[in-house]
Amino acid sequence: MRNMEKYFDISYIWNSLPVLLPFLKVTFMVAGLSIVFGTFFGLILAVMKLGKSKIAQKTANFYTTILRCTPSIVLLFLVYYGVPALADNFGLYLHDLNTAVFVVITFTLQFAAIMSEVIRSAYESIEKGQFEAAVSVGLSPFQAYRRIIFPQALVVGLPNFGNGLIALLQEGSLAYTIGLIDIVGKANLIIAANYNTHALEIFIALAIVYWVLSILIEKFFGKLEKVFSKGKQTINTN
Amino acid sequence: MSEGLNYTFLIDTFFVALSGVPITLFVTIVALLVALPLGFLLALTRINQVPVLNWFSRIYVSFVRGTPIIIQIFIVYASVPLILSLFFNRYNININVYDINPIWYAFIVFSFSTTAILIEVFRSALSTVNKGQLEAAQSVGLSNFQAYRRIIIPQALVVAMPNICTATVNLIKATSLGYAMSLQEITLKAKVAANAGYNYVEAYIDIFLVYIILCSLVEYGFKLYEKRLRRYKYASA
Repeated sequence: MRNMEKYFDISYIWNSLPVLLPFLKVTFMVAGLSIVFGTFFGLILAVMKLGKSKIAQKTANFYTTILRCTPSIVLLFLVYYGVPALADNFGLYLHDLNTAVFVVITFTLQFAAIMSEVIRSAYESIEKGQFEAAVSVGLSPFQAYRRIIFPQALVVGLPNFGNGLIALLQEGSLAYTIGLIDIVGKANLIIAANYNTHALEIFIALAIVYWVLSILIEKFFGKLEKVFSKGKQTINTN
Repeated sequence: MSEGLNYTFLIDTFFVALSGVPITLFVTIVALLVALPLGFLLALTRINQVPVLNWFSRIYVSFVRGTPIIIQIFIVYASVPLILSLFFNRYNININVYDINPIWYAFIVFSFSTTAILIEVFRSALSTVNKGQLEAAQSVGLSNFQAYRRIIIPQALVVAMPNICTATVNLIKATSLGYAMSLQEITLKAKVAANAGYNYVEAYIDIFLVYIILCSLVEYGFKLYEKRLRRYKYASA
């Protein structure tokens, strides 16, 4: 048992948490920007998928399929090496750009694909009659969307949005591979400073942070769903 | 860097990346072979509310879904050798833990995470099958096992198939993180080939293409199988 303590010391978990937690700021910043941009592009993609143009539909579906088939780490490196190389052709020098920019680009691309499906399925879950009824009582199409369609679609889309958020947060843990010092990057620095000993404790601390975060996000979206569905009446299936 | 792409390297490395496919598929298949039955059994413990196991599976699923897979890899890769070397020392088994093929760690990590995902997949699929189906099966004299095998599972499988497909594609994608365990799969092989001449853009384009081909084929295969499973299902629009 004494032999074990030499390798595994639980105090490393508690001692590393206060050092790690401030770096959540970087994780959140990168994730937050990706969510904002990703939701915006996801909305554009969803409009393309729902629109009448066959070419727009095909393009948007193709994009989603490709992104779904690409591992995050491959996309991350493709962006990290590919974007500056591509920019060279236009005479732009982007090799010194902050790594956070590449991370945000990667996860924006990925989150847009997720969001386009979330928005599309949420929109399609609302019956067409709802819009027609709203217009027939004198609402303008914009009002009908804002007051009738959107509030209903939001309730349907929320759980999927929450799952997308958790997925984004987890995939974001790969950003350390291109040198971003977020919480995972910091953990690796701590381990290196310890001469690669007690790595397990630090990784467990990381796992705890992510686990707690995911549970909090899940709980938060559960609450949010309840708030937004207050006007909804469905058959009680429980 | 702006000389454009190195096309000979691009083509050569495509085949290097392709040579990593067997390892990727091997890990994927082993993980699925472990995870499918185990996930199903644990899903049954959730549905039937088996006392201790029910809680165990809940925490297990929550952990796997709540933590990034790279961190699961880090933890397994840091802890398993530690535990094994203690075990080997105690029983005087003369095996060097650092000689163990990394593929074993890959089997452990990916089986571990896929089982958790499949517990949820099977749980939701089984809950879509009407309870009356089981009662009806029992009432005509089938045993519990027969009822599951012949009535419940075939129906639940149709519902579960799309999610199993997603889980498989995600698993294939996740094996790209095997580099952290120095597993010789698609990503690592192409990356090593790129190291010599800094041809990273070409290497990652190749890796990207290989994954797209692989995942599209898997998705197509699942679609065909799903059609076959659905053949008994009538009255669908």
